Amino acid sequence: MLKVLQKDAEQEMEMRTEIQNMRLELSTISMMDEFARYARLERKINKMTDKLKTHVKSRAAQQAKIKWIVNIIFYILQAALMVSLIWKYYADPVTVVPSKWISPLERLVAFPSGVAGGVGITCWLVVCNKVVAIGLHAVS
Amino acid sequence: MEAGDEASGRSAAQRRAESRRRRLLQNSEQRMNRIVGFGKGDADSSEDRHTMEPRFHLDLDPNDAWTPPVSSKRLSPYISETGGSKNTTPSSTPERRGSPLPDSREDLGEDDLSRGVRQRPRGELSSDEHSRSPRRGLQKYLSRFDDAMKLRGQLANEKAAQDSSSDPEELDPFRLFRLTGSVLLAVFVRIFVCQYLSIFAPFLTLELAYMGLYKYFPKVEKKSKTTVLTAALLLSGIPAEVINHSMDTYRKMGDVFADLCVYFFTFIMCHELILLFGSESS
Repeated sequence: MLKVLQKDAEQEMEMRTEIQNMRLELSTISMMDEFARYARLERKINKMTDKLKTHVKSRAAQQAKIKWIVNIIFYILQAALMVSLIWKYYADPVTVVPSKWISPLERLVAFPSGVAGGVGITCWLVVCNKVVAIGLHAVS
Repeated sequence: MEAGDEASGRSAAQRRAESRRRRLLQNSEQRMNRIVGFGKGDADSSEDRHTMEPRFHLDLDPNDAWTPPVSSKRLSPYISETGGSKNTTPSSTPERRGSPLPDSREDLGEDDLSRGVRQRPRGELSSDEHSRSPRRGLQKYLSRFDDAMKLRGQLANEKAAQDSSSDPEELDPFRLFRLTGSVLLAVFVRIFVCQYLSIFAPFLTLELAYMGLYKYFPKVEKKSKTTVLTAALLLSGIPAEVINHSMDTYRKMGDVFADLCVYFFTFIMCHELILLFGSESS
């Protein structure tokens, strides 16, 4: 993916350099004296600019598509990991504390382990998700 | 004879072309009215027209006036061309009769047109009542469509702005203060308080304190983002103030939930660390 994108970026750079050179050349030509050459060069520049625009658009669309696919894959993997963890450890609490510490929410916190005073895997995953999100947000 | 027929035919064709050109150049609102079946002489519904005007303009020039004097002035060249004896009221245009397409009237002779013009006022009053509600419905639909297009444009702009901007939302000082307070309280509660009461009681007290302290912090202007949900709610008819208020409430609930998660996480981590160091020391 990176190689393809790198190649596109190089092509784009080349086109930009070419356009810049042509523009420099155009600035040296007098429109009055060499109109035909001026017009030809201008047409070339316009054509190259349109080609560059199309190229940039397609590259941006490709990048957006790749980003979207990666996001989807990431979310699927995350969901799969969470489901598998819950499936495997649903009966085991993450840790056990005296139940009066977490009253009146002890049942909710202990879900689905059912252990009195325990912290269930679901609750712990939700809490960790939120904390990591806040941490990443603060760091970024 | 043939040359004479040809000349008269050409002049009739020229006249038709001229009238067609004039009709096309006429006010586009008039055309829309004719398509909808809205009559010019309908004075009662002119108020509705004016109130709906900002919404009804899809691709029209907002400076175009719908007032009858303007339209009658515009119609007058056409009417004078077809014949001065015709009824010159703005509503008595041939298109009002049947097909909305102006070109369909090309084949009618002038007599047919005048008959149509004369016959119109009789049936007009009775059909006005019936045509008003579908007209309103259509105008309402068009205004909603307009709103939907605007919201769609806003959504696209928001998405583009989000894509271009690297930092969508910063941690404002109050939010940072809240999170730090939650962490410190969790440590304090684990060490000193948890043996005596529930850990959620100090947390609730902390949240109440935050509500009071909020006004002492610099207010960060939170730009209300147009999302698909808010756009759908707006289009369903819910007022924007209600949506903003609800979004604000949800944002506050989200902040409280974030504080709770940080607090609980810190508490459990503290508990585990104390157990670990306690077991190691023992």
